Amino acid sequence: MPRYYFHLRNGAGFVEDEEGRDLPDPEAARSEALKGVRSILCEDVLGGVVDLRGSLEVVDQDGVRILLLPFAEAVEFRT
Amino acid sequence: MIESFLLKLRARDEISPDEEEAIRAMFSETIEVPSDKTIIRAGRELTFSTLLLDGLLCRFKDLRDGSRQISELHVAGDFADLHSFTLKHLDHSVMALTRCRLAIAPHDRIKAVIHAHPHLGRMFWFMTNLDAAIHREWVLSLGRRSALSRTAHLFCELRIRLGIVGLADETGYALNLTQTDLAECLGLTSVHVNRVLKELREGGIVEFRGGRVTIREPAQLERIAEFDPAYLYLEKRPR
Repeated sequence: MPRYYFHLRNGAGFVEDEEGRDLPDPEAARSEALKGVRSILCEDVLGGVVDLRGSLEVVDQDGVRILLLPFAEAVEFRT
Repeated sequence: MIESFLLKLRARDEISPDEEEAIRAMFSETIEVPSDKTIIRAGRELTFSTLLLDGLLCRFKDLRDGSRQISELHVAGDFADLHSFTLKHLDHSVMALTRCRLAIAPHDRIKAVIHAHPHLGRMFWFMTNLDAAIHREWVLSLGRRSALSRTAHLFCELRIRLGIVGLADETGYALNLTQTDLAECLGLTSVHVNRVLKELREGGIVEFRGGRVTIREPAQLERIAEFDPAYLYLEKRPR
């Protein structure tokens, strides 16, 4: 299985994923990225402040970016 | 080969030389398994219990979509399934998270040991009670502790449990787990775990890197975790 790296950028800085994760295909990596961002936003919601300025970048094992997911695109907002 | 199991028992009560001999004779064989191997599958009939000699095991349950919750980590000296002696088959599976060395205790031998040595029967009962206490603490973590506190708590727990068997000191221990393994223990995603680890690292509290946990500020780590080791029943007393 190919390895994908999930690097996080937000107001607090850059969190590099040094370890990566073996996943079957880019679709699975995209799904992991969505879950990852949503899980972080979940905790923001519980804390009362949601910071949407971050993004999660998914890079494959050759260093090619396959996805840049801004936090705001990981959830649908209805107001 | 079972020294870590004896260390774990002797941290809680005296074990006589006779009892030690009976424990040593309880195991029929030693086997090695590779990392990521499920060694016990839920529902399968079991005629033996498995002691971990070396490596890391976990108890887990999973859902149809593949998401997995680890309910306890096992370190050297832990039985993965002493409870299978009475349950006969398990509601959860057990997986090797690293390469592991295991010792097999056939249930009929365990039965003979607890008949001949009722005190060992009580000590084995204590061990399953201890697993239940650890599960309760994990329920508190999963249900109520923040991601940061939950992660800190796991690092505190492992320091004590590995310390009992001589595999940790104040400054840290080897922990050959991936972020995904940690995420499955903590009920978080690995992306979230990575962020929490960075926060702990940059706060100068604890660092998890290259298969090692380095504890820089033990008192602060315990404060973040609200760690109270009482649930690990560390007193040595007649049982």
